[in-house]
Amino acid sequence: MSTTSDIRKGAVIKHNNNLYVVVEFQHVNPGKGAAFTRTRMKDLASGKVIEITYKSGESVEIVEVQFQTMQYLYQTEGRYAFMNMNNYEQIEMDADSIGDDAKYLKEGLDVVVGLYEGRPVSIQLPKKVQYKVVEAPPAVRGDSAAGNVTKEIALDNGLKIQAPIFIKEGEEVLVNTETGEYSARA
Amino acid sequence: MSTWSDLKHNPRLKKIFDQRIKIVRLIREFFWSQGFVEAETPLALRFASQEPYLHFFPVMVTHATGDEYRFYLRTSPEFALKKLLAAGWNKVFEIGKCFRNHEDFGGTHNPEFTMIEWYRAPGTYQNFMDDMEELFKFVGKELLIETLRYKDKEIKVNQTWERMSMKEVWEKYVGVDLDNNLTIEQLSNTARGRGYSVGNKDSYEDIFFKIFLNEIESHLGIERPMFLYDYPAQMASLSRLCHHDPRYAERVECYIGGLEICNGFGELTDSDEQKRRLEVDRAVRHQLGKETWPVDEDFIAALKSGIPANLSFQPERSPVPYGTGRGVAEKSRLAKTSRDPSAALGMTDKAAGIALGVDRMILLFTGARDINEVIFQSVNDQLTINN
Repeated sequence: MSTTSDIRKGAVIKHNNNLYVVVEFQHVNPGKGAAFTRTRMKDLASGKVIEITYKSGESVEIVEVQFQTMQYLYQTEGRYAFMNMNNYEQIEMDADSIGDDAKYLKEGLDVVVGLYEGRPVSIQLPKKVQYKVVEAPPAVRGDSAAGNVTKEIALDNGLKIQAPIFIKEGEEVLVNTETGEYSARA
Repeated sequence: MSTWSDLKHNPRLKKIFDQRIKIVRLIREFFWSQGFVEAETPLALRFASQEPYLHFFPVMVTHATGDEYRFYLRTSPEFALKKLLAAGWNKVFEIGKCFRNHEDFGGTHNPEFTMIEWYRAPGTYQNFMDDMEELFKFVGKELLIETLRYKDKEIKVNQTWERMSMKEVWEKYVGVDLDNNLTIEQLSNTARGRGYSVGNKDSYEDIFFKIFLNEIESHLGIERPMFLYDYPAQMASLSRLCHHDPRYAERVECYIGGLEICNGFGELTDSDEQKRRLEVDRAVRHQLGKETWPVDEDFIAALKSGIPANLSFQPERSPVPYGTGRGVAEKSRLAKTSRDPSAALGMTDKAAGIALGVDRMILLFTGARDINEVIFQSVNDQLTINN
């Protein structure tokens, strides 16, 4: 039997006979007391997100999930296609399972897909992803004086972010996929 | 992330750090203006406190002769500040770093964090609830921030904060009378009846928090900030038992948007009882296979000498009138569940103190997404920065 220390983002837990994929987890020590593990997880059948807190060390039923690096291919009609580059097997996921992460996908991006009984249940993005800047309005004289230290730029996958005013079209930038913010020039 | 490069390139993080600098300064201004003095006490302690579930950072202190001594980084300045109360100070605060190992590197935790603790002797836990509410309103007013943010929740700071007893929240959210769940047998039955697994090794506190964390905590402080007070005596820690019902203890926590940001006590000043509890905690540490050290006898001696040291010092009324005025219903409830703070100093109003997590306070005022965004070079940043 697994314990709470085996809980990871993307792990699948069987709870009251339902299967849940872990979206987020955190350790809590209420009032200097024993440790607990707070887990936010999504019901694989209904998509509903629930929060359950376990005493740390308590046993939980974690079902086996295979984690596989796959390359993002394309999206059609809300279906996202990924390919396992070792055996060229292709899988599809719906927009609900990918959630907000969809906006960071770009053709050829490697992500880690969690597979439960062959069925994709989660993806994990790299912490930072490199994009090419396709649109960056030139900085205007007086910008800094007016307190405008950032401007909106558009990236090659359609994502728009705030970036420092010195960023130019055609440059490569790194974006933090946890916050959606500009991180650095690549 | 909050590294120099983030601060240079990301105006949102730069603003958060600028706000942090202002908030820390305003905290100091607030406490000085309320007649407190700021103390500095050691970070490295020969005899640290005894909390069974905290993990201490050991540090070696070496004399010029080569003699070595094992010290521990403080998890809180509590013992040292109470010794200053015994030395004769009546209102004292300290803002500084504390250390707890084996915590998350992110979310709402960093192993090194900033805490403010303040103590009043004499004082009651009602006094420091007032202090805390005033502090937040003062900082909000100075920074022109009306809304505290945590995750997707928004809480207006400038309303009257809610105050509820633990018994009241159990009744409201679990539908259970806590008076009938104060033994491990009773509470185990209740927990099993609600579908929780209860193990032989689970303590009262473990079972209590299983229910509390799953069914109660996320509701707390959502509409307005909330003080939760009077914990079952099993979780008294360093607090004294309630005057009105010794099955409960004068322990207070404050929740904002479901986030716990402080822990305070009507302080236990009985040296014998304090020593007994610390020895019990030390035994639990031993049982859990954790490193142990002797109880700080100097702390016990300080309590024995008497707190407050100067009994002619008069207890205070609430220092500043509220802008909004406390609701009548709340007032009458408070009157029922606590002593009048302006009552003459009795045996049970000797001291009160509270610890507030400053990083979490800044997170609420700035709407930062994570504790790492309010701390310059958090542990997580340092681990990832050169990779």
